[in-house]
This record gives sequence, structure tokens and C-alpha cells, in this order.
Amino acid sequence: MTEYLYPASVDEALRCLEAYQGNARLIAGGTDLMPDLRKARISPRCLVDITRIPALDQIAVTQDFVEVGAAVTLATIRDSAFLNQHVPALVDAARSVGATAIQSVATWVGNIVQAMPAADGAIVALALNAEARIVDGHGERWRPVESLFVEPGVSAVDPCRQIVTRLRFPRPPSPSNGGPCLVVGTAWRRIGRRPSLVLPILACAVKMCLRRDGGRIERAAVALGPVAPVPYRARETEALLQGRPPTGEVFAQAGRVAQGECHPRSNVLRASREYRLAIIPALVSDALSTAAERALSLVQ
Amino acid sequence: MPQRHSISFVLNDQPVAIQADPGKSLLDLLRNELGLTGAKQGCDSEGECGACTVLLDGRPVRSCLTPVGKIAGRQVLTIEGLGAPDGLHPLQTAFIEAGAVQCGYCTPGMLLAAKALLDRQPEPSRGQIVEALEGNLCRCTGYSAIFDAVETAAARMRGEGRDQARAALPSPPASSATPVGGDALRRDSVEKVTGRAKYVEDMAVPGLLHARVLRSPHHHARLLSLDPGKAERLPGVVRVLTAADVPGANDLSDYSRNEPVLTPVGDTVKMKGAPVALVVAASPEQARAALEAVGVQYEPLPHTFDVADALREDAFPIYQGGNVLTSHRLAHGDLDAALAGSDVVVETGYQTTYLEHAALEREAVLGYVDQEGRLTIVGGTHEPHWQQAYIARLLALEPREVRVIMPPTGGSFGGRQDPSPLLATALAVHLLRRPVRLVYSRLESFTASPKRHPYRVGYRIGATQDGRLTGVRVRIAANTGGYDAHGQYLPDFAVVASGGAYRWQAVDAQAQSIYTNGPKGGQFRGFGTPQSNHALECTLDELAQQLGEDPLEFRLRNALEQADVSFLGYPIAESLGYGAVLKAIRPRYLESRRRVEAFNATADEAVRKGLGLAGMWYRFGKSGSLRVEAHAELARDGHIVVYCSAPDYGQGIATVMSQLAAEQLGLSRDLIELVNADTALTPDSGIQGASRATYWVGNAVCRAVHNLELAIRGTAAELLDCPPSDLELVDGRVVVQDHPDRSLSLESVAEAFDSLGKSRRVPGFFDLSSQFPEETRPKYTPHFVTGAQTAEVTVDLHTGQVKVDRVVAVHDVGRVINPLDARGQIEGAIMMGLGAALMEEHVPDHSTGFGSYYVPTAKSTPEIEVIPVEVPSYQGPLGAKGLGEAAILPSTPAIINAVSRAIGARMRQLPATPERVLGTIQGRPPEGSRS
Ligand code: FES
Ligand code: FES
Repeated sequence: MTEYLYPASVDEALRCLEAYQGNARLIAGGTDLMPDLRKARISPRCLVDITRIPALDQIAVTQDFVEVGAAVTLATIRDSAFLNQHVPALVDAARSVGATAIQSVATWVGNIVQAMPAADGAIVALALNAEARIVDGHGERWRPVESLFVEPGVSAVDPCRQIVTRLRFPRPPSPSNGGPCLVVGTAWRRIGRRPSLVLPILACAVKMCLRRDGGRIERAAVALGPVAPVPYRARETEALLQGRPPTGEVFAQAGRVAQGECHPRSNVLRASREYRLAIIPALVSDALSTAAERALSLVQ
Repeated sequence: MPQRHSISFVLNDQPVAIQADPGKSLLDLLRNELGLTGAKQGCDSEGECGACTVLLDGRPVRSCLTPVGKIAGRQVLTIEGLGAPDGLHPLQTAFIEAGAVQCGYCTPGMLLAAKALLDRQPEPSRGQIVEALEGNLCRCTGYSAIFDAVETAAARMRGEGRDQARAALPSPPASSATPVGGDALRRDSVEKVTGRAKYVEDMAVPGLLHARVLRSPHHHARLLSLDPGKAERLPGVVRVLTAADVPGANDLSDYSRNEPVLTPVGDTVKMKGAPVALVVAASPEQARAALEAVGVQYEPLPHTFDVADALREDAFPIYQGGNVLTSHRLAHGDLDAALAGSDVVVETGYQTTYLEHAALEREAVLGYVDQEGRLTIVGGTHEPHWQQAYIARLLALEPREVRVIMPPTGGSFGGRQDPSPLLATALAVHLLRRPVRLVYSRLESFTASPKRHPYRVGYRIGATQDGRLTGVRVRIAANTGGYDAHGQYLPDFAVVASGGAYRWQAVDAQAQSIYTNGPKGGQFRGFGTPQSNHALECTLDELAQQLGEDPLEFRLRNALEQADVSFLGYPIAESLGYGAVLKAIRPRYLESRRRVEAFNATADEAVRKGLGLAGMWYRFGKSGSLRVEAHAELARDGHIVVYCSAPDYGQGIATVMSQLAAEQLGLSRDLIELVNADTALTPDSGIQGASRATYWVGNAVCRAVHNLELAIRGTAAELLDCPPSDLELVDGRVVVQDHPDRSLSLESVAEAFDSLGKSRRVPGFFDLSSQFPEETRPKYTPHFVTGAQTAEVTVDLHTGQVKVDRVVAVHDVGRVINPLDARGQIEGAIMMGLGAALMEEHVPDHSTGFGSYYVPTAKSTPEIEVIPVEVPSYQGPLGAKGLGEAAILPSTPAIINAVSRAIGARMRQLPATPERVLGTIQGRPPEGSRS
């Protein structure tokens, strides 16, 4: 029989993990963990549930960052008024994971720590330049989410020894805040074999910072998956976009560059490599135009 | 450190403290330890189906993915706590009234997901309802009725509409006074919406053993040896059964040639998942563990999934007699002349794929020896008496030593015609003399249960310049997989459906049922006909386009009239409404066409809408005997009991039977009791297949009831001293016409029967054997229903994604007995047809469950309009015809024709996945076939 603990603090959670020397495992929503437990793919002696640790279930908006606690569910993200207004890509990505009854309990952090190349939450985190707060016996530090993916299903975070307590990403400059001359828009595009309850054939998240006058792209972040063993930042595409005007032509060109730098694989059920490559331009340029429109709508 | 093991929580408003493993799932806790079986398991607890949804602190969660540890200190609401039969929640009432409950297996989860929504959002938009229910699969209803029900309940809970929260369902339902044509509520729905209906997995049986089938991991192999010794020594294992243990004939009788219940050593397994041994243990986990311990050796053999390979001269024979199981040909007229006289001839090749029934309840069978020592098997089936015979044959028993009972069943769509799980269970119970339950895992169901047969269909078809069809040549290769499983009967069905309700000058149609090592094909809604009809209706669309003809007018011009010689070479024997159907759909079709044209005129280059049309004819009620029996009884207390075998796996046939009886007698439906589908109690009404229940069994029920009425009048006439013809049945009394004071209660008539020594139970027969003598053609009764559907789709030309916006379905179903159920059957069929058109494809080795086989979810649901055309049947009960299967036939081709027209190229392979659609747009050749 497994033990099931509700530590009252992050420290206590760490102590629980330590006490079991690798045989205890963190659990948040548990939606990915449960099938693994049932099939005995993992058999921890103890589950350490962090969802009742005070403050981990908060979304905090500070001067510079949006911080999302490890116990914040995808449903909370999906329903957050602030995120709906300012970071729609994150809201749409949260809505893409499973369905309502999964989103009720599954967390963004959990989605990232699972380290699947097609994880919606991981793809959007990349585009948002998110960082993870990692706590373990050696202390605490921020690490870019992008650096946490080792290979499909393997995260640099060890759930038997380490805790990601929260994620943060730069708060989008808005007319009332931050960048005096920048506006930011985000967008999410996803294609699957059916509208939901299915892993994506391809998903794309974009964050775009535009000069307030709409004249050129300050910088853009473009993330895609599954197009590589881990969620992928399309840096060549981003380089092309930097400093260019936000026009359909530029976005189309960006789509083609993205197509050139991605290396998707074939999957018998979902789609072939060729198909995935074929739709990258449409997906990327669509997401870019939506992000640009959203950014510019803030200027009006 | 925090407490462990002892967990306190609030369950349905009651505080509970339990000792439990906190790492186990809430679903298992509820079902196995707390006896609350309302939450269902539809997938392998993978979180893929939603049937296990409960509320945790008011939010919907998958209980299969919720560790018990998580509920400590929280509130859990299960369906049992939503509302009891005497105090239904408005959602429960609305679900019943809207026809949102068919098999009921998804219902508890749906209701709870809907409740969570309404608690947060009392005035939800349709979009919010869809979003909230998106994670809950329903295979029966097509979702629309469920959305409607949630809207109705929300309105009532806000105080709009008639009853307020927690209103009791009027019982008996208000509409029961008008038995036929009114919206009669399902008899069993209250049980289903309250989670009280006991499906096989929900039945608690003391001393129950659990069986699992050991299955071949190879697609084709010789079974060299089997050694159960090690497995039998494992804890909890009672016995490992093999072919050597079978006392009688180790086969599936005439259901399937050459298919064993357990494969004998030395024989070959012809598909992955073929049964090899049966493990029986004290718990499901022990049975599962024992599977791996059975020593088994195979010699792998070459295998193929492809009919073309299997037909090759040098093909490896799967069976001694070669790889063609059966074939059938229909030819009349001079085809060469007809095609030579055509102005346009088109040739097409269409391909369909393996489909999974994916009923929400997995295969589940319970067996025990009853007090009289009789082997009793409880399991979903279409024909309890046939199963009784199969079981008796397997065990070398007399049929009367076997009883088969149909329990509440979570959907079939044809899948539950496979006798294998019933036979395996019967074998274990018979040999061990203990109660045994066999439940397939979802993975096992995907691997071993029968599928829709994949077809390759080639047409050559001609027409004159003025739009008249001339000749048709069609060749069909049907993949029956590793076992027959009724594939022997398939070619006839494939051929008949390949010509439609059209006039042809000459016909040459041939179909073959071909063995491969793919999954076995079997019955599936419309058995063998949707694939042919799909290819036909798409080919006709191509032809119309080449002729520059409007697809609707083209079909109408060629539509078969009642007296015409049909595709079969002779006129059909029931009323035919195809022309009426096409005319009825015309206004909707024209509306859609205007909408689509207007959209495309201004649309962005990346999107196009398309409109598709398809028709169908469907031969209903072909199967089984031409003589069908039912009984009616006047019970001692004056109510009427109807006895028949019309298994109800969710399609609502039980309600139809009691409606028919009520109408026949002019009685309220609550005076009718139905005893259905139990070999110990009910007569053999033949197989329930090919949508025959309403027409055939319904007729037998009507006749039995009529005979009973004659007997009642006869007896009452003696007592009231008047001619029987002067009597009428009014409100449960027998009254002398124009003398309301002279009457008898049915109870006193029953008493009189007894004192006179007359039987209160009388049979009724519906018998067409004189019209269709056994020895002569047509082998099957030429009774057809027809229909047509339009589909409007939007295609993203850059990604190939398709969205179906709207479907209009016009069907001639004869007289509609229960409009609510008729609509539900049609909407459910449309969604299944949509799945086949766009997303469903069972890929052997890869499709293992709902996460890798894509059935339509709430979000895929188009706007659906159902328009019945009631062309009364000549011989059906009250003018009814068969309904349940036919509606799926036009859905797939209508959608595919719409896609083809939107993209300006023909989609010839199913399903039209985004990848295939984009490939067709870009002119890439279709990829190699998988089936
Ligand atoms: S049983 Fe829980 S989602 Fe299927
Ligand atoms: S009623 Fe929904 S699955 Fe049967």
C-alpha cells in the first residue's frame, strides 16, 4: 500500500521526498501519474501531494512577471480573466489539454514535467519564455523551462527529489504597464485528428512584441511540437522575424523558414512527417498574424 | 506527518470514513468497495472516455484518474447522490424527456459534468455546454439530444419553463396516454439517470470468479504447445481452460465457420487476439497475472492484412480451402450494350476501413448455475435463443439446460452479436460450477472483437447525356479478417446495397468475402451495406458532376418507383418512398446550396464550404426466420404482460414493443408490462438484426395482443351476455358499447379465465413464409427503407481540416412509432457516419483504445435536422418499417461528397483525415492502404 502525504509547506514536502530516498514521488493533478501507477510502470512507496500547500494554487501578477503556482490547475488558467485578456495563447493551450474534467485537476507544471514533445503546456511555456522555480536539497533557482526537456518523457526535474514550485514568464507589456513603446500579442494554433481529447498532430504557440506604431517586430518567440524529440523553439524563424514589418508576406516567409528548421516524425495514427511539414507554414503564419492582430488591437 | 490509510470525506452529503489504499483510483473505491456502481468504466481507466466522471468539490473529475488520497476532507458527488427516482434532479428529468438517454452508459458521467456546469453557469451558451461535455464520449445519441436536455434543465432551474428544481418526474409519464406517435418516454430511463441500472459489471455476486482470455500476440501462427501448469499454481488461480476442456463442439456454430472458442494445440491462430486459453481466478488482477504465466509456444506464419495479397495465386493459405470465404453475383440485362449506349461512363475505386463499434460498455458477461442447476448466462446479445443453442452445442447440453438473459446493455451497434464472450463464460461456469464474470479490457475489445469489414469497391457506371442511368458493373472485395464471424453472409448484402433505389438497364454486381489476418469483420450497424452505399453514392456524384447535372435532380430522375424492376431484377415487396424522400429534402438542399455559394463567393482563399448529398436504400429485417412468435398474457390483477425477445441494448426497442401493445389495446402504457429477451421466460422472436425488431417482432406482439383481446372479449361476452363485437376496452375495463353501466374490470375477466380453465397467455405469430417459400429466391425479404441526407462542410484548404456544419436527414421509416427514439437513432447514426467519414479508422496493432481510435466528441457535432417521411408500410405494425441501422448509410457519402466538392477533387479513401484531404488537394497520390 502506498502512503499518501499532504505536506503543509514546500520544506515539508522536500523532507518527505528525502525521507523516502527516491521512493517517494510528487503528485499534483495526478492525471498522467495514475495510469502509470496502475500499470506499475512506477511504484513509489509514497505519494507527496503538493496541492494543499498554501500559496501554490495562486496566479500572481507582479510588476515584471506572471507567476503560476505548481498547484494551479489548467481550469484556473483557462478561466483567469487576466490571462484571457493578456495571454490568450496560454488560455487556449490550457483548454487543449484533455477536456474539462482533466483540466479541473491537471496542472501546468505537471504538463511540463511530463516532458512530452507534444505537451500543449510545454509548447506554450517555451513561447512565453517561461522559467521554473526548482527547489531541492541544494537550494532554489530559476531555470528556463526550455532547459528542462531531456528526451521524450524525461525531464531534468526529478520528481522523486525536486519540486517545481512555480512557473513565471515576463508580464506582457500593456498600455498601462511596462514597455512604453511595445505591445505584445500571443496566439495558439493546434491541429488534431478530432477537435479535442487527442494529442496534437501539430501545435504552435507564438508571442510577438511589436513596436507600438505597428511598424516592426521587436522580437517574436515561436514554439512548436511535436517536431523534435522535445518541445521546440524555432529560432531561425524568430531571427527572420526580428526587425521585420508584421505583414502577411513576412509571416508567410516565416512559415517557410519554420518548415525548414523543424524535423517532425511520422506517426501511424496521427500524421506522417510529410503532412506535418506541409502544414507548418500555414500554422505558423496563422498564429503570427493572430498574435500581431492582438498586439495591435491594444494600441487602439 | 499527516495521517495515512484512514480517509474521511463526504460522499453524497454523508460523512464517510474508510480504510483504503490512497494510491488506488476513486473509481475502484466507489465501485468495488462502496458498492456505488453508477460511475462506469468505459476505457481501461486511461481517462479517455469520461464515463467515470464524478464531482470533487463541485468540479468534474475522472474518478479513474483520481487517487483515493485526493478525496480526503473533500466532497464527492456521484450519480447516486444527484437525485433518486422519487426526487429527480431537473437535469435527470430533462435527459429523459429529451431522449438523451439511450444505452445509458455515458449518462451518469454526462449528468454530473452538466451539473458542474450549471452550478457555475446557470445560463450557459450552447458553446459552453459543448465545452463542458467535450470529455464525455457518447456513442449512441449523437450528443444533440444531450445538449438540448442541458438547455432545458438550465431554463427550468432558472425558473423558466414549467417545473422547478428537484421536481419529480410525473409517473406514469404524462404522454403514456398516447402510445404511438407521441413522445413516449423510455421505460428504463429512470434507472439509468439515477445510476441504479445494473449492467453486468455492476452486479454483485457472492463467490464470483473472474475470467480472462489468453490471446494470440501473432497475426498468424501455429499454436505449438500450451502449458498451464505454472499459471495454475499462482495464488488465486482456479483453473486454466484450454480447447481440450471443451465437452462439445469447440466452435461458434453457424455464426462463424471454422472459428473456435479456444484454439486447439496444433491448429493455427488466424489473427492477433485469437483466443487460446481461458484463465479463471479469484480476482481480476490474479487472472491478469496468470495470463502471463501460461506457457505457450507459437510458430509464426506469414501474414497479410491486404485482400489483394490474400487473393494472389501464391498467397499463403489462411484456410485449407483458400482465402475466399464466399462470393455472390447478381447480373441481369446486357451490360456491354448498356455501357456502349452511354454518353458518359465513369470508373471509380473507393476504399473503406476497419471500424470499431466502440460501445461505451466493454464486452461483459456473467454466468452462474441457478437454484435449479441450470447454467445461466447474463450478457448483451441480439438473440438470446441462438446463444442458448450455441452454448448447449459447446457444452453438449440440451438447450433447456441453458438459460440466457439479456441485462441492461451499454450499446451494441452489432458488436454484441459475437457469441465468443458468452461461450467462454459458459464454458468456465459449466466446468467449475461457480459464478464467473468475463470482462474484456478495452484493449482486448479493440484487438479481438469484430470490426466493420473494410471494402475495396470498383465501379463502372454509365449514363446518357439526358441524365439517365444505363448500366452498372461493380466489384467488391470485402476483408473479413482472420475469421468468418458472419462474413460468409456478407457478399449478398454488399451486392444488394451497391445498386441503390435506382432504375438500371443492366446490372453486373459481384462481391467476395476474403480472409486475411486482419481483425475479424462482423456485424456492424448496416452489416455490409454502408461501405457499398458509400462507394455507390460517391460514384453517382462523380457521374452527375461529369454530366453537369445537379446531384439531386439526377438522383430524382433515376429514382426507383414502386412498380419498377429494381436493381435486384424484380420489384420490391414493401412500400417505397425514395422519390418522396428526395422531394422532401429538396428545399433544404437548395437553401444549403445558396448558403454555400454565398460563402464561397467572398471567402478567404484558405477556406471553402461544400455541399454534399447522398441517398440510400436499405433492406431491413432480412435475417432469421420468416415466422416470429410473441406472447401476450392477461395477468391476474388485470394488467397485460407481453413476452418477446427483442433485446434492447440502448436503442429503445422495449419501449416500442409496449407502445405497440398499448395502442393495439387502447390501453395506457403503464398497464403493459414487458418481459423481454430471457430464454426461460420469452418465446424465440428470432435474431434482432437488420433493424427487424419493430417490423417483425412488433408485428408478432401486435398479433399476440390481438389474439388476447379476442379471448378477453370472448370471455367477457359470456359474462356480460352480449356478442363479443359489442364490447370495447376502455380505461382497463371491458364495456358494452353504449351501455357504460355494463362493464367488467380486466381483473374480473382474468378471474373468469381461471375459473373457466382458459389460458391467460396466448401466442401471436407474424409469418411471411408462405410469401417467401424457403427454397426459392429471393432468399431475403425484399423490404427496403430509403433516405437521403445533405451535409454542409467547411474545409481548411491549407491544413485539410474538415468541419461538418450541418446535416439534414430525410428518412422514410414508415409510420413513426416513437418520434423521440426515431430522432435519437438517426442522430446517433449520423454521428457514427461522420466518424467514419472523417476520423475513425482501426489500424491493426496501433488502435488500442479511445486514445488511438477517434470517435466523434461533442465538439464535432453538427447542427442536425431530422425530417421523417412517413410512407406507411404494407405489412409493418401500424405501418412501421425498420429504422435503426439505415440512417448511417447516407451520412458518410454525403459528407465525403461535400468535402470533394469543396476541394474540387475526389476523396476516395476513408476516413478523410486532414492529411488525406490535404494530399488530395495537392494532387498527391493516396498512400498505401492499411487494410
Ligand atoms: S473510465 Fe475514466 S475516463 Fe474512461
Ligand atoms: S447513451 Fe451515451 S453511450 Fe449510450
